[in-house]
Amino acid sequence: MPGLPAHYVVLGAALFALGLVGFLTRRNLIVMFLSTEVMFQGVVVNLVAFGRLHGHLDGQMFALFLLVVAAVEAGLALGLVILLYRRKSSLDSEAWATMSG
Amino acid sequence: MSPITAYLLYALFALGGAAVYLAMPRTREAPARIAGLILGLGAIVGGLILLGTRLMPASSVNPGFYIFAAIALFAAARVVTHPKPVYSAVYFVLVIVAVAALVLLEGAEFLAIALIIVYAGAILVTYAFVIMLAQQARLSLYDTRAREPLAGVVIGFAAMAAVAACTTDTSALPQIAAQPAASIVIQADVGNTLAVGRSLMTHYVVALELAGVLLLVGLVGAVALVTRKVPRDGTAEPPAPIGRIGKEVQPF
Repeated sequence: MPGLPAHYVVLGAALFALGLVGFLTRRNLIVMFLSTEVMFQGVVVNLVAFGRLHGHLDGQMFALFLLVVAAVEAGLALGLVILLYRRKSSLDSEAWATMSG
Repeated sequence: MSPITAYLLYALFALGGAAVYLAMPRTREAPARIAGLILGLGAIVGGLILLGTRLMPASSVNPGFYIFAAIALFAAARVVTHPKPVYSAVYFVLVIVAVAALVLLEGAEFLAIALIIVYAGAILVTYAFVIMLAQQARLSLYDTRAREPLAGVVIGFAAMAAVAACTTDTSALPQIAAQPAASIVIQADVGNTLAVGRSLMTHYVVALELAGVLLLVGLVGAVALVTRKVPRDGTAEPPAPIGRIGKEVQPF
């Protein structure tokens, strides 16, 4: 049995964490969604590495379907961003914080 | 994994977290951002050296991995910390290219090409369009000030350290079944693209159809979100006279 691909796992975790940090800290809606795409990349790296470890194609197939979901997500999210920008002329996510207590 | 390696790993994550915190966009602190950049480069290089010397046997890691991992991490950090969204998008292309190269090293050729075409080609163009539509010409306040950077960095890097600690401790993992289902094993004599295509059309054919439906739903949803209502019974306002469009009519 080949060893666990620890280097890919650590890299995937690092990419995911960087995306998470970006999503939590940036206020621009576009950059927030770019950060989610960075998180997707961490997941892709992990899926492919574990697929290779197990010796079959499931990891790659999951990553391919993840591409589909990411494309749909980008389309819908950017549609929402345009909608929100029309209402407030601002990309600040905190412009929509009026419902928080 | 020896305890020293674990502590070195945590120290590197702390270093990387400090680097990202320092590099976060904020007003008038250019020296801190440059220091963050240097710290971040140090964390990436140190992490790769640690990987190559302690975590993995050196023979099992392709040398290309170090190069592309460094590119991916650096570019991802810049996506997160760059104050201008256009530059964030361009650095994201760099992340995609590096990840595609890493995936290629693992033998997933089709996925690597699909990543570049779909992400760097299609999704990034969508982002570029939205940035052009909605971005102000000069930097706005919400771009130059991060929201709670310290808390965000601590949460993110603590999560990273937890994942790394769990997955690099191989003794805690269950043993992996040696024999996967025979029909989806990677076959050496068949190319990756052919194998992926066969798998898509046999095992994953339902998922493939569902992916098509999902894309259709996304398309309809996006159109329904952003189209504006156009009344058809003649109650619409008269069109603006020629030459006054830029003054009277909102561009969006």
